[in-house]
Amino acid sequence: MSDSENAVSKAWGAERVAMVCERCDWTFLAPANRASQACPHCYQMKLSALENANPSTLLTNPDDIEPELALPFQLAPADLNSALQNFARGIPYAPEDLNPRLLHSRLESLWLPMWLVDAEVQAAWQAEVGFNYEVVSHQEKYEQNRGGWSTRQVNETRTRWEPRLGRLHRSYQNISAPALEAHSQLQTQLGSYDLGQSQPYQAEATHEAVVRLPDRSTQDAWPDTKPALQTAAAEECRQAAAADYLRHFSWQAEFNQQNWSLLLLPVYSAYYFDDEQKPQPVFINGQNGKVFGMRRASPKRAQRQTITLLIIAAVLFLLSLAAAAASIFLPPILALGILGIVAAMLVGLSAIIPIATVWWFNRKQKETNG
Amino acid sequence: MSESFPPPGYIPAPSRLTGIEIFMPAPPESAPQQEIVDFKCPQCGAATAFSASGGGLTCSHCGYYEAPEKSIVGKQAAQFEFTVETMERAAQGWGEQRKELACQDCGALTTIPTDSLSHTCPFCGSNKVIQRQAAQDSLRPRFLIPFKIETETCRQIAGQWLGSSWMTPAALQKLAAIAKFNGVYLPFWTFGAATRADWKAQVGHTRTERYYEDGEWKTRTVTDWVWESGQATLKIEDLLQPGTARLSARLLKEVKSFNLTEMTPYESKYLAGLQAQAYDIPLEQAWETGRQEMREMTRQACLSQASSSQVRSFSMNLDFAEETWRYVLLPVYLATYAYESKPYQVMVNGQTGKITGQRPADWNKIWLVIAMLLAPGVLFSLLGLLTIPFAGAGLGVGGIGFILLIIGAVISLILYNKASALDDL
Repeated sequence: MSDSENAVSKAWGAERVAMVCERCDWTFLAPANRASQACPHCYQMKLSALENANPSTLLTNPDDIEPELALPFQLAPADLNSALQNFARGIPYAPEDLNPRLLHSRLESLWLPMWLVDAEVQAAWQAEVGFNYEVVSHQEKYEQNRGGWSTRQVNETRTRWEPRLGRLHRSYQNISAPALEAHSQLQTQLGSYDLGQSQPYQAEATHEAVVRLPDRSTQDAWPDTKPALQTAAAEECRQAAAADYLRHFSWQAEFNQQNWSLLLLPVYSAYYFDDEQKPQPVFINGQNGKVFGMRRASPKRAQRQTITLLIIAAVLFLLSLAAAAASIFLPPILALGILGIVAAMLVGLSAIIPIATVWWFNRKQKETNG
Repeated sequence: MSESFPPPGYIPAPSRLTGIEIFMPAPPESAPQQEIVDFKCPQCGAATAFSASGGGLTCSHCGYYEAPEKSIVGKQAAQFEFTVETMERAAQGWGEQRKELACQDCGALTTIPTDSLSHTCPFCGSNKVIQRQAAQDSLRPRFLIPFKIETETCRQIAGQWLGSSWMTPAALQKLAAIAKFNGVYLPFWTFGAATRADWKAQVGHTRTERYYEDGEWKTRTVTDWVWESGQATLKIEDLLQPGTARLSARLLKEVKSFNLTEMTPYESKYLAGLQAQAYDIPLEQAWETGRQEMREMTRQACLSQASSSQVRSFSMNLDFAEETWRYVLLPVYLATYAYESKPYQVMVNGQTGKITGQRPADWNKIWLVIAMLLAPGVLFSLLGLLTIPFAGAGLGVGGIGFILLIIGAVISLILYNKASALDDL
């Protein structure tokens, strides 16, 4: 085992190997036995050890990455049945491989990373702080028929705003920032995570799971932490001033002693094969159960139905023609022949419905999911 | 981080978290915090007093004059909300040590400078007063209107006013010259609020209609009642309410036409050599009265929206908002003069010179005038009665006499009421 692998294993509390999918360029830390297994992101290629891959795919040295917090999976695979059923439901001519039972059997755990930064902040700040206070007000009612005025005293809460400024020398821990370029897109697809429920990282949590490696450097992520640091500082200034509210917070800050670590977000991934036997990945938020994946209808099944309908129409048409010809000898069946032709035309026209439905559904899915 | 931190005008504020320093704007220096002020002339050491003509401090002994530092804030003067906190925060006391005169006759409390030798109640003229230290725990007035009328001018106004009515004794005008006019700052509350009322009422529209009854066409008046509703909002500012019940409400109402645009922040020098009365109608009580006036104003505003003046089943829900108050001192000259051993009060607005008060009536003159007014009616009536047996014209003369008698009686009654009201409080 190399020094680098030792450092990674020490940080993660278990043996981990950096791997990459050369199809989608996602990089992972995974147990060594995951090599040659399918990429849990695209399922189109097998993972390969990073030594064999293009080194430029890895922006951050795995040695420098240390997990600190993780959001536990709040939903066990058994809890996802209804979510998977909902995912598979309502797809016209769904691919045969797209069924909840198969999806469930293919579920595997995946962790997505977020950067966490600790920083010491020295700043000069100013803001307006608001203090609630109560005033006595009155509501009066006049009723001519009931003898005049009646008064009701009411207490109203109002806010008094006062300027404050000051200096701050504080340390802030675990301010999060996206570690993936696609973070906001993933958040849109999988819903927000409640980061307040994060717990200290434990190696057992990622025992057999794959961890996505960041594709954003800490330098890139740093500007994203500043608003959160400012929000945390503003909240502390509010508390320090014993105020109920704080607004128009501004500061001139210097940041020192930055320390970076990772927060892991739980995701389940699975897949199904579409018509072209191309795996379509499905992701499930491990905290709230929101499912995301391309729901594709099967054009092949639709085509089969269309062909069946066309055959029915053709047979009907031929029979109707035969009936029309026979009406020379038996005129009353001419009507039957005409009716049969009309029915054959209607059935023939309806044959377009399956294909059109699938086309429209897949197009709509593409628009919805990008 | 700047070297000069915090910026000027900021003071440290308590912080609940270590590592966070907080600074807040320094509160404005408030008058009650200042040391006890001794208004001594820097030239001769004699007492200085506020001069209404110049608006500064003058020494009557050596002529020293200290120009005023006028800062008129007018109606922009800060207003306070009805919070316990604000009232507690309001600075306390008078800003200088003052004595209080408690009148044993009328109960009025008047504050005076410590070196004042006055032992006469400015309200009733009684000398049965006791001196004590002025209470410092009442709300401090934050604004006032300085005196603009000099005592001498005041005396001239009073002289003209006392001699302006034929109903008063002729000697009254001379009393103005000897009456002592005391400049007193009287306590007033000003109130502001926004009122918003939703109202509904049945509004009557009268019409005349013709109808057929008992074989003939008749007319009758019919009122059609329809429900109407609306919403009225009023922004009421600077509603003045007296802060004292020691003075006649009538006199105060007549004299209270102050121009509040000349309000200045309270400074104890404005009280130098003058008297000031602390409020005895507390804020809540005055606000109750003020609110009653405001809601009545709002009710009238609602009624004015109705499409007719005939209204019944009127009801309204009124919300007060943005309620504010100020405690101000307003300048008034009070004089008490005695006529035939009876005291009479005169009140002059120290800003505008408007005068009001009590005047004794000269009942000899009044009865004489009444007799003269009734005489023609009595005479003609008698003449008419006497001449009725001799000629039919007697009836006409008697009729004229009766009419003259009625007119005379009505005018006499008006005169009598007017004369009676002269010394009303």
